[in-house]
Amino acid sequence: MITDTVAEVRDLRLKFPGETSFVFKDLSFSVRRGEKMLLLGPSGSGKSTLLQVLSGIIPNLIEVPMRCAEKILPPSWGLLFQDPDTQFCMPYVDEELAFVLENLAVPQSEMSQRMKEVLEKVGLQLGELHVPIDSLSQGMKQRLALASVLLSNPEVLFLDEPSALLDPEGRKQIWKSVQAIAENRTLIIVEHRIEEIIGFVDKVVLFNPDGQIVGQGHPHDVFRIFRRELQEYGIWYPGVWKDFLSSPDGQTLSESVKPASVEEISSIPHLVLSAFRGMRYGGTAIEVDHAEVYPGDFIAITGPNGAGKSSLLLSLMGLLAAEGTYILRETRMDKLKNRKRKFEMAAHEIGFVFQNPEFQFIADQVSEEIIFSLREEGLTAEEVSTKVAEILVQFGLQGLEYRHPYQLSLGQKRRLSVAGAAVLKKPLLLLDEPTFGQDAVNTFAILKFCEEMRSQGMAIMMVTHEEMIADTVATHRWEISEGRLVSQQVTKRGRNRDNMNLIERVEGSFST
Amino acid sequence: MRKFLTPRIVTWLHRANPVAKLTLVLVAFFITLFSHSLDFVFYQAIIYILLLFVLSGHAPWKVLLIILPFLLVFISSSSTMILFGKGDHLWWEWGLIRISEESFYRGIHIGFKSVSFAAEGLLFVLTTPSVALFYALMQKGKLPPKYAYSFMASIRLLPMVWEEYEIRRNALRIRGVRASRGIRSWYTQIKLYAVPLLSQSIRRAHRVAVAMETKAFDGKRPRTYYYPSTFSRYDLLVIIILSGAVGIAYIAALEYPLFGIFDVRYR
Repeated sequence: MITDTVAEVRDLRLKFPGETSFVFKDLSFSVRRGEKMLLLGPSGSGKSTLLQVLSGIIPNLIEVPMRCAEKILPPSWGLLFQDPDTQFCMPYVDEELAFVLENLAVPQSEMSQRMKEVLEKVGLQLGELHVPIDSLSQGMKQRLALASVLLSNPEVLFLDEPSALLDPEGRKQIWKSVQAIAENRTLIIVEHRIEEIIGFVDKVVLFNPDGQIVGQGHPHDVFRIFRRELQEYGIWYPGVWKDFLSSPDGQTLSESVKPASVEEISSIPHLVLSAFRGMRYGGTAIEVDHAEVYPGDFIAITGPNGAGKSSLLLSLMGLLAAEGTYILRETRMDKLKNRKRKFEMAAHEIGFVFQNPEFQFIADQVSEEIIFSLREEGLTAEEVSTKVAEILVQFGLQGLEYRHPYQLSLGQKRRLSVAGAAVLKKPLLLLDEPTFGQDAVNTFAILKFCEEMRSQGMAIMMVTHEEMIADTVATHRWEISEGRLVSQQVTKRGRNRDNMNLIERVEGSFST
Repeated sequence: MRKFLTPRIVTWLHRANPVAKLTLVLVAFFITLFSHSLDFVFYQAIIYILLLFVLSGHAPWKVLLIILPFLLVFISSSSTMILFGKGDHLWWEWGLIRISEESFYRGIHIGFKSVSFAAEGLLFVLTTPSVALFYALMQKGKLPPKYAYSFMASIRLLPMVWEEYEIRRNALRIRGVRASRGIRSWYTQIKLYAVPLLSQSIRRAHRVAVAMETKAFDGKRPRTYYYPSTFSRYDLLVIIILSGAVGIAYIAALEYPLFGIFDVRYR
C-alpha cells in the first residue's frame, strides 16, 4: 500500500502571505500509482495550488508558507500549464525541445531522434523540426508543451487547466494527446471544461470553496451524489446546461423570442454591412458580403481562433481601416473620411467588452470604473451614485465599491468589465469571448445580463466558442472562417422574431 | 520584423563563431575609439559601411534603409562639438555658439567615429542570431546557462508586450480616455499604460520561469548542447577581413589624406 502511493500530503496547512484565510486547513490527500484523477471545485478553491504542493513547486520554487505532517513527492513528474504562450523559452520547436534534452544531458547526436519520437507520441506532425513556435495554433502549442514535458519520461503528470485557453478544436487535440500517453502514468488533472476528459478519468475529487474535500469516487457516482453541490459551486459538469436551461433564469434565455408589441421592433437595422472588408497589417482580415443586425438580435460569432472574429469587432469599432458599405444606425460610416470622427461615431453607438478585462480598467476603484463610464451623461452627483449602486447590484458587485479592480476574482473582473460597457445602454454591445475561462455560474450570469439588455432593444454581438450559446441562447449564429463571414443562420430561438421582422418590413414597404 | 531581418544570403560573417566575432568587433571598437587622425576615422567609417553592404547578406536597399539613421547619428554627435568646442582660428561667433576651425574638424571627427561605431555594431548584430550568440557565450564564453536562457526567453516575450500595448491603446480609446496637456496628465497616461502592461509582464515572466524550472533546469548536472559552438576557418577569415579593413583605412589615410589632420586633439 505504501509503495503504491506516488504523491501524498497529510494535514496540509497553507496560507498566502497577506491573505486572511487559509487555502487549505488540515487537508489530507493522496494519489495512487496509475490513477487518472480529476480535481473539481469552484474557482479559488485551491486546486492549482494543490498541484503545486504535490509537485514540490511550492515551497521549492515558489515560497509560500505551508506546513504538513507528512509529504510524499512523486519520483518523477511533469507539469503542463494553462497558458500555451508562457511555457516556452525558445523561438523554434526544435530549440525548445532541445532545452529540455540539454537539461537532461542527452548527447547532441541523439537529440533529433528523441524529438521526432516525442512529437509523434503527442500526434504533432510538423514535417520538419525547425519550425517557429509562433506559427503554431494554440492547440498545437499545447501539444508541444506536452511533448517537452514527456521528454523526461515522468511517471506522474500534473495538468493545470491545459485546455482552458483553447478553442474547441484545440481542446479536442490536447486531450486526445493526453489520452494517448496516459498509459502507465499517473494523471492528476485540474480542469473546468470536462466534456473531453470525463471518458478517461477514473476518479473525481470534489472540493468546496474552503479547500476541503467534499467527496471523491468514480465520476458517475460523484456527479450523481453531489449534484446539488456542483450546482451551488457553479462548476461545469455533464448536464449543467440542461439544468440551467430548465431553471427560471435559463428559461427566459432559451424560449423563443417574441416581441411584446409590434412597436418594439423597428424595421430599421442597427447595422448594415455590404461588401465590407476590415484591413489589418496591410491585408484583408475580415470580409462580409452582406449582413444586417436588428434591435433585439443576439448574434453569436463563432469560428476557429485566428479566423478574424476579433478583427470584425475591431473594424466595426472603427479601430481597423475598412472598405465597403457600413451603415450604423442610419449613419453612412463609410462616407466619413476622418478616421477619428468615424471612431467617435462608432464609440457613441457601440459598447465594447474586451477579452481580457484588465486591459479595460482605468480607475483604482470598482465604483470609479462605473462613474467614469457615466461621466458624459450629464447626470447630477446624486443620480450618478444611485445609478452606480443600481448597476453594482445588478452585476453582483455590491460591497466591492472600494476594491481595486485588479483585486477582484476572475468572474468579478469579467462582470465589472461588462458592467462598464453596458451601463450606458448603447444600441449595440460587442463582446469578445466574455465567457472564456469562466466557470458555469459566471457564464450564466453574463448571459443573463446580455439577455436583459437584449430584451430592452439592444443588439448583442458576442464572439464565443460555446456551442450552447451559439445554438440555444443566441437568436442568430454567424460563422467566420479564414477571414470571411461564411454563414449566417437563424437559430430556433430567433426564428419567431425574424418572421415578425419580416412582416414588419413588408408592411413598411406597403405604406411607402 | 523577423522576416525583415532574415538575411538574403549567408556570408562568411554569418558562419563565424559569435564569440570570435564579438571579440574582433570589440577590438575594432577600441581601434576606432583611440584613433585621433581625422582621415583614419573617416576611412574606417567608409570601409565598415562598405563591409555592411558586402557581408551583411541583406539586399542593398535594406542596408541603405538600415544605415539611414547614421545621418542623424552623425549630425547629432558632431554638432555639439562644432558649435561649442574650443579653437583658435575663429570662423563665426554668436552668443554662446562659437565655431572655430579646430572645433569644426573635431566635430566631424566625432561624427565619423560615431558612424564607425554604429557600422561595427551593425556588422555584428545583422550577422548574428541571438540564439547562436548565447549558445556560443555559454560554451566558449563561460556564461552561466541561467543567464543565457533568461535572455533568450525574454526576447520571446517582447512582441507580446507590444501586442498588449496595442490592445490597451484601443481599450482606452473605446472607453473615451483622452490625453490632455500638462505634466499631470502625462503622469496619468504613463500610469494608465504601465500598470496593466507591467502586471501582465511580471505574471508572464513568473510563469515562464516556473515552467522552465519544472523542466529540470536547475544547473545540477553538466549540460549538453544542441548547437555545438566551435571555432572554424571562417573565424580566421573574419580576422583577416577585419584587420584588412583597418589596414586599408590606415594606408588610405596616409596615401590619400582628405583633410590632412593627424591629430584633432586641442592642445
